[in-house]
Amino acid sequence: MKKEMSAAAKRRRLNHLLLHAGLFLFAAACVYPLLRIFSVSLRPGDKLVSMDLSLIPAGATFVSYAKLLGDTMFLRWLWNSLLITLATSFIGVSLASTAAYAFSRFRFPGKKVGMILLLSSQMIPAGMLILPLFLMIMKLKLMNTYLGMIIAYSVSSLPFSIWILKGYYDTIPRSLEEAALVDGTSQVGAFWRIILPLSTPALSIAFLFNFTTAWNEYLVARVVLFSSQQYTWTLGLFELQGQYITQWGMFAAGSMLVTIPVLCVFLYSSKWLISGLTLGSVKG
Amino acid sequence: MDILKSIYEVVWFILLVAAGVAALEGYFYTHFKFYARAWFFPAVLGVFPALALAVFGGLLGGYTFKLWLYFLLAEAAIAAFFRYAVKGRHTVPYLLLAPAFVGLALLLVYPFVFEVYLSFHDLKLTTIMMWKNTGTLPFVGIDQYVKVFTTSPLSEVTFWALLGRTLLWTFSNVFFHVAGGFILALMLNNQIRFKGFYRTLLVIPWAMPQVVAVLAMRGEFHSTNGFVNILIGKLLAVFPFLAALGVAPVQWLTDYPLLTCTLINIWLGIPFMMVVILGGLQSISSSYYDAADIDGASYFQKLRFITMPLVRPVMMPAVTLGTVWTFNNINVIYLVTGQAGGTEQADILVSALYKAAFTYNRYSYSAAFAIVVFAMLFFFSVFYLKSFDAAKDER
Amino acid sequence: MKNKLLILAAVSALCACSRPAADTSRTIVVWEQEDAQVAPYIDSVFEAFRKLPENAGVEIVRTHYQTEDLRSQFQAASLAGVPPDLLLGPSDTAGLYAVSGFIMPLDGHFDFSRYNKPVVEAITLDGHAWGVPVSNGNHLMMFYNKKLVKAPPKTTDELFAYCAGPARQLKLERCMAFDMGEPFWMMPWLGAFGGWPMDGKTPTLDTQAMRDTVNFYLDLKYEKKYVPMECDYNCMDSMFKEGRTAFIINGDWAISMYQKHFKQDFGLCVIPRLSKTGLYPSPMVSGKYFMVSAGAKPDKLALLKRLLEFYTSKGNQIKQYQALTRLPALKAAGLAPEITSDEVSRISLDQILKGRPMPMATEMRAVWDSARNYLGMAATRKLEVDTAVRKMQENTDRKIKEMNQ
Repeated sequence: MKKEMSAAAKRRRLNHLLLHAGLFLFAAACVYPLLRIFSVSLRPGDKLVSMDLSLIPAGATFVSYAKLLGDTMFLRWLWNSLLITLATSFIGVSLASTAAYAFSRFRFPGKKVGMILLLSSQMIPAGMLILPLFLMIMKLKLMNTYLGMIIAYSVSSLPFSIWILKGYYDTIPRSLEEAALVDGTSQVGAFWRIILPLSTPALSIAFLFNFTTAWNEYLVARVVLFSSQQYTWTLGLFELQGQYITQWGMFAAGSMLVTIPVLCVFLYSSKWLISGLTLGSVKG
Repeated sequence: MDILKSIYEVVWFILLVAAGVAALEGYFYTHFKFYARAWFFPAVLGVFPALALAVFGGLLGGYTFKLWLYFLLAEAAIAAFFRYAVKGRHTVPYLLLAPAFVGLALLLVYPFVFEVYLSFHDLKLTTIMMWKNTGTLPFVGIDQYVKVFTTSPLSEVTFWALLGRTLLWTFSNVFFHVAGGFILALMLNNQIRFKGFYRTLLVIPWAMPQVVAVLAMRGEFHSTNGFVNILIGKLLAVFPFLAALGVAPVQWLTDYPLLTCTLINIWLGIPFMMVVILGGLQSISSSYYDAADIDGASYFQKLRFITMPLVRPVMMPAVTLGTVWTFNNINVIYLVTGQAGGTEQADILVSALYKAAFTYNRYSYSAAFAIVVFAMLFFFSVFYLKSFDAAKDER
Repeated sequence: MKNKLLILAAVSALCACSRPAADTSRTIVVWEQEDAQVAPYIDSVFEAFRKLPENAGVEIVRTHYQTEDLRSQFQAASLAGVPPDLLLGPSDTAGLYAVSGFIMPLDGHFDFSRYNKPVVEAITLDGHAWGVPVSNGNHLMMFYNKKLVKAPPKTTDELFAYCAGPARQLKLERCMAFDMGEPFWMMPWLGAFGGWPMDGKTPTLDTQAMRDTVNFYLDLKYEKKYVPMECDYNCMDSMFKEGRTAFIINGDWAISMYQKHFKQDFGLCVIPRLSKTGLYPSPMVSGKYFMVSAGAKPDKLALLKRLLEFYTSKGNQIKQYQALTRLPALKAAGLAPEITSDEVSRISLDQILKGRPMPMATEMRAVWDSARNYLGMAATRKLEVDTAVRKMQENTDRKIKEMNQ
């Protein structure tokens, strides 16, 4: 039986083999630098570059991790970042999902202008915002509090989230909602029970985007936060960097540790990224 | 204890934001619903300016008459607008959009106005003291804008050459982000084993903190210790004929700094596009492919006539925004060429702009520069969206 | 009605949030950009200061910034009217702050004759001293690996003889390493060829000395091959630590790190005399300084003065040397036996005496920027040496004009 595999099956097997080879190659290109960072974090003596290509360097030690967790407030910083990030993502995605619905399903004056205004909010070079942001934060007394940061983060991710959600809503046939409306569901109900469940891939993209942007944000945090108790990990990690000397071992260890939560979020979200498949069945 | 406190604090902030949104919705709802009532004007003019004064006066630390007057005038304009122009139409979409747009305005209107103000005045090293002490600056009209186009923030590269270089940088990055993201997304969109595993590994460049990711990649481009040159050396040893074709280890960082930055930035940006496109592929019904299979369409025909057009609405925002972000993105360039900016060979418009602002403290010049960058991006995106709409109407 | 209640709730919530301003007259805010290993020392001095009986109730808040951040944040904070009280950092941005009116001249407040003259000179602009020196140095010197080098070279001829002979036999990757892309590392050699980048406030770059220096770089790189082709700070640091190079030219800030890394194999010497001219290379010498924000109130100034005098007291200056291997700025501390008896401090001091104060004028920013760009092009043979040096000068002049016009 096995020998008489059909030509199509053989071809599929070959295809899969090629796919695996290709994906493996790309994945290796993505993972390799992370492994290099890992080896820096194990390397004694704060060396960033090294001739040593082996992943486990000579004299490998976890001392950098111990020092990072013991001598600094790194866990505290991670926790602060996590809280801010989660709050931001929650607010950002909720605001974006409703605003995108307006753009996708209603006709109203100013729709095009609104879309372009959203886009144009991303066009000012960020470095130029430091001075006015500082002045604003001082005036509104938002220094050393997360409130301003949470608002700034969730708002600045809105344009992308709204655009991507609008694009996705557009692909959902209107007939679905109309049927529900005929059945007596309210507009809000139709949005909640039809549009949102069908948009999980776009919602999870928006969530991931909100999450990673807030997680890695530096500029606003630098302006708002002054006390190291309240630092996010981005600020905390840069405590290790001086004018000339950077404690690369701890820096790399910190980078490994902050990558983990993001990877977990990606792993978890992959389920949602794919589950829009139901759409296919209703669309046909 | 501390942890609990911080949770309370953040939950409290979320509630605060929610209350803010609710207040905003209430405010607009009043205007939409009661615009025609006889008591509309007296009521809104009485209540809202007072409330605004209470909030902002508290924040700014002073309840002045002038502040209240401003609020009163603003409210009068808004109320008149609702009464005579909006007349309660399109209530639902506007209410849905209100929080997002008001939030963006809160964050960006002041900085933008600030930059515009600076660009028509002259704030630089020799006038900072005056500005700090008196709060005024010499007005110079469009001088700064003239300088943007006639002088260069760099020494060897003119403004126009710099613009060309920036465009090249932007488009090569975005092109390879999309191409790479597309290929990977298509590969992942098959029914193969370890899909989740691959997907997680492939997003690592996005998930890692950018600073470290770039510094790690920078190390790989080092002329003797970097993986890239070691690989080229190995390849040459196995295939000697490559040397005849001009393949040789390269001093990436000194000889081709911008190319190195571009390669690293491409590597960084592919995962994001991949995830977006992967999401977009989910919106395509399998029935299209089934129908095409029956018609005997080839893989590439399906790709060309089904996948590409249908994935476009989801991909387009990512491409447009990606272009804008890449145009303004100097993180990679700074990290690769050194914090001080290194030589000029890898500078793009925005990194040159920062040099003028932060090395030479020419704030007004760089503000004008930033406005020019903004305007270019703005017209590009309006043009791009127009052409996108036109393409959509054709179909 | 419901909506209005919500608004009221929001209002009261927001009002509750705005807290009363804390009493700031006993709180000192310090911003610094030091390397991370220095932070514990700074904190220990501050702690000791707070423990003094007359300082009951004094709080000191220290915030770390990266170099570039400190500059932009301090300017923003000064313009917003909420600057920190003190800045701790090198002198290179002090000129900018002084010209902008962000820091105050300290002539009347401190007795600057108590400090070493060159270190005060490096923070003097337009006849005023703008900072209180806490350490002397921040200068480049030469370090070597005693496992590889028996006796330090006295002249470049001796150095090159080692590079041509023993270094080859030891199969070192390169004989010596230093950051050839950063003009800071070029200044000692420029001095040895008889040049200096600034004369008062006028850049002097288009000189024979500069051409000689760049040719010296090219010779080291392409002809003699004693230095790596492409090597920045982290690269040279790793090469030296891994024993792939025998010599490194690095700043005094790295001494304690190398001592820890190499233990008894750590050697240091002054940068060898340039045989061709017979002159010693002259690194730029400055130090670390406390600068006082222009916004400091008179009553607080007394407190700040007490803190700075405590920080630079003889005892603390000696302690600073023991903790960080940074030479004291205070004359009296420099003569203390704890410091004069130590070989490291003797050599470091010797190097300082061969150096020259780093110019504090804002014009120096244009010099750094231009020199980095054209040195980079000339040293990678993208531009002829003569052209590069000429353009270096022209461009510096143009940038200064744009900056000051």
